[in-house]
Amino acid sequence: MNVVDAVEALLFAADGPLGIEAMAQAIGLTEGQTAQALEVLEARLDERGGLRVIRLAGGYQLCTKPEHAEAIARLLAPRERRLSKSLLEVLAIVAYRQPVTTADVEAVRGVQSDYALRALADRKLVRETGRKHTPGRPMLYGTTEQFLHEFGMNALDDLPRLDSLSPLSFALGSAESA
Amino acid sequence: MALRRELAEPHTVGALGVVAPPLILVESPNFDGSLGQLFRCVRDGKVDLAAVSLLPICEAYFEYLMLGGAQSLDEAAAALAALAYLIERKAWGLLPSSEAEPVADDPAELPSPSTHEYRAAMEALRVWHEERSQLHFRAGAEPAETPLDLGGITPVELAAAFERVMRRCSPTPPEPARARRSLSDQMVQALGALQDGWKPLLKLLPDPFTREDAVYWFLALLELIRLGQAKVRLHAEELEFARAKR
Repeated sequence: MNVVDAVEALLFAADGPLGIEAMAQAIGLTEGQTAQALEVLEARLDERGGLRVIRLAGGYQLCTKPEHAEAIARLLAPRERRLSKSLLEVLAIVAYRQPVTTADVEAVRGVQSDYALRALADRKLVRETGRKHTPGRPMLYGTTEQFLHEFGMNALDDLPRLDSLSPLSFALGSAESA
Repeated sequence: MALRRELAEPHTVGALGVVAPPLILVESPNFDGSLGQLFRCVRDGKVDLAAVSLLPICEAYFEYLMLGGAQSLDEAAAALAALAYLIERKAWGLLPSSEAEPVADDPAELPSPSTHEYRAAMEALRVWHEERSQLHFRAGAEPAETPLDLGGITPVELAAAFERVMRRCSPTPPEPARARRSLSDQMVQALGALQDGWKPLLKLLPDPFTREDAVYWFLALLELIRLGQAKVRLHAEELEFARAKR
């Protein structure tokens, strides 16, 4: 069995990001061997073909190369999924300060944000992660794997570091939600 | 001190918000006027609250509530808010004061978070989102749309029927919110209406009906279908509902 081909087949068959561990188990190799095969596959696809391997949401997935985006868009006519400025603002706050309550988000923005949070939840970019242990037990929100996927991130660590975001405001955020 | 109580003009716009508190009159050596005036004077520092007893005012408010004067919750709430403010101010005034007033923190100096600090993150997310939209993935399997047996009717057809009904709703009357019946009550009513065979959704609803009525009826019908007590069919391009034989 050609291991590189096997990894390619697994990535093709999966309809979401696939972790190295899952691939290794399926093929019957060690994780190290699978990672090596993955590297070879990445290099092979970079050289030729219309696909590439991308690291997304904690796994690997096959996707089309950006140079073919226009042709694919003409064929599939995908729905426009642009985010408004206010949704992006709420999403950024949730991503950096999660888990947060609606009131936390509103405290930062200074405007009502429940609609934006609902809209983001409908788009599966944020989800309820629990309830805060304060009076009223408000709902806590965090980002989802779909968020990582839709923004091309592997993990939340990939978020850009904001130097202007003071460490104290992070500390306050985490202390409040503890 | 003597207190009199009269009802205020309903829905008077006052300093406390949309509705002024009721006219609870305060007569004391240091202040003579209404509760609302006392609130404003204390807030503006024109009256020494230490010299005004709040107990009779609270009693007058209690009497106002008990004698049925509180016909407007907004008025009663405004009076309560005014009383709470006065009590808090008086309590603070009664606390022993320290020699030197501590310097209040300058809010401008506090590290208050604002969306400005997230601007770079928002820009990064926007760019990444655009870049990511250039990549395409294999479409996954279609998720199961509904866990119900709709007898050949698609969820899209159900949604279209609901949309047609919503377009014919009467405007909701501008009356205060009232307690709705429960969904299970609505289901009992719907079951009763389904006794006489197939009926289109519009014939089931009362005439005229509001958006709220339409939503309740539709939810009740969906729940009845889920429970196997109702069925739906497409007849002459219109969805019809009937009671299911068990």
